[in-house]
Amino acid sequence: MKIDIPAVLAPHTRPGLSADIRGLARSFTVNGNERQVLADLDLHIPAGEFVAIVGRSGCGKSTLLRLLAGLDQATRGGITLDGQKQNGGSEDLRLMFQDARLLPWKSVLDNVTLGLRGDRKQLHERGLEALSQVGLADRAAEWPARLSGGQKQRVALARALIHRPRLLLLDEPLGALDALTRIEMQALIEQIWRQHQFTAVLVTHDVGEAVALADRVLLIENGRITLDQTIVLQRPREHGTPDFANFEHHILKRLTTVEAINARNQHRGKIVDIVYGDVISEVRVETPTGVVIAAVSTREVQEQALSTGAEVLTHFKSTEVMLATAAEEARQRVSA
Amino acid sequence: MSLTRIKTALLPWAVPVIAIIVWEVAALAGWLSTRVLPEPWAVLKAAWGLALTGELWQHVKVSAYRALAGFAIGGGLGLFFGLLTGSFRKAEIALDTTFQMVRNIPPLAMIPLVILWFGIDETAKTFLIAFGVFFAVYINTFHGIRSVDPALIEMGRSYGLSGWRLYRDIILPGALSSILVGVRYALGLMWVILIVAETIAAQAGIGYMTMNAREFLMTDIVLLGILLYALLGKLADVLARALERWLLRWNAAYLGV
Repeated sequence: MKIDIPAVLAPHTRPGLSADIRGLARSFTVNGNERQVLADLDLHIPAGEFVAIVGRSGCGKSTLLRLLAGLDQATRGGITLDGQKQNGGSEDLRLMFQDARLLPWKSVLDNVTLGLRGDRKQLHERGLEALSQVGLADRAAEWPARLSGGQKQRVALARALIHRPRLLLLDEPLGALDALTRIEMQALIEQIWRQHQFTAVLVTHDVGEAVALADRVLLIENGRITLDQTIVLQRPREHGTPDFANFEHHILKRLTTVEAINARNQHRGKIVDIVYGDVISEVRVETPTGVVIAAVSTREVQEQALSTGAEVLTHFKSTEVMLATAAEEARQRVSA
Repeated sequence: MSLTRIKTALLPWAVPVIAIIVWEVAALAGWLSTRVLPEPWAVLKAAWGLALTGELWQHVKVSAYRALAGFAIGGGLGLFFGLLTGSFRKAEIALDTTFQMVRNIPPLAMIPLVILWFGIDETAKTFLIAFGVFFAVYINTFHGIRSVDPALIEMGRSYGLSGWRLYRDIILPGALSSILVGVRYALGLMWVILIVAETIAAQAGIGYMTMNAREFLMTDIVLLGILLYALLGKLADVLARALERWLLRWNAAYLGV
């Protein structure tokens, strides 16, 4: 299946929307217990950037997206879009869901033009144009039940694009597709993003997908951003090149280490100081239980791009704790 | 069509056709008394005779009119209240308990009271049918509205639909298959109530024709009346199915996907 995309597209491109998230927190009360899903999250997304958010199930990434979309209310903090406070939906943003959520009782074309007002004939033309962007103009008159999973998501993409969104939110839109279709869809989304120049936020748990599409990959753990990785790769990107694999590996490693370590021996904190040495550097981390000093190889400090103010997770093996005799603080080995 | 396919198409009809032949032969041979069961040929002749005088159409028209009037009133009200209580929590709290209580009264148990209220003319029969049909449509409409996929409603809202447009584009079509189940069920109920109501007291209609014939031991007309009810019931069901097929043509079950 090849998707042909017409050369002349998007006659009226609108600039992307910038998003500013300050101190955002969201907690849910389940059986009387408060569960914090997002905790004091700060994030700035410049206009036109493609940001991917990865994380384990339940880490709060979908909640963040729903808050951005205005489908949910924050417990504390807030989101501003181009300086305007986000309170409950905006004409400038569109959301693509995990499932296509097409209305089965409307034709493909009527699904695409859903929510638009105006002259019917003109709407048809716009709908067909949006469908041709995703390569499905010839299926306009059909019922959604006749389409495959990938085609349904392409229709959902067309439905979002017809509104010329300045911010497109994608909630794991390709999660249910087979590997081949997914790569095709990634290429399509990237191409359309480059043509329309909207801001895009993609939630996914496929790290490869995040690296393929995003300018920046954010890792969310326990409601906080714990990694903010800029992806400096030429577009269009190709799965499997060494640079691609490096980024993918780096992020995956972060994801899996955090998963594997024991929760009792870890402390979350902020780097307050780094004392650089030739081989080993000392990283001082302020955690709620006290200051932890980690001895980290200088090379690793540079590779991980550790800097003062960064949020890190300190972790030690209980068998490798060393007690220093005179020091004011226990020195602990830390794998950041 | 190949020979085997013709055979498969005809096979279901073999038993009824043989039964009718046996029946006709038994009646001709005198094994069956016409007072018990008239021969099929006599039923056809009776139908022809009544059709020629126009009496048959008169009765069918009266019965069909009663059925449809009762169905329209009861079904319409059921749809209205089902939409109301399904869409508005306050309406549900105010009305649903009452409806659920009244629902448990069998419509036919109301006959003595209905005769006292409305006498034995048209109003009584229309009321009984409307009463029976109401709950079938009401419950299925209520259920249909409540079981519309919330994901689709959320999608609709995020695409700027609200109020009437959200209702028309998402909630109503989403509830439609459930509503149609109610309609088909109500159609079946409609004939049952009509038959009982007509045989108890009427001055016209298929039931009247049948009961009148019974007085004079005209078993052929009695049987004709019974067959007419069956035919009308089947016709209503076929129409309802066709309506369903048309309204739900987007459904995967009808697309053969």
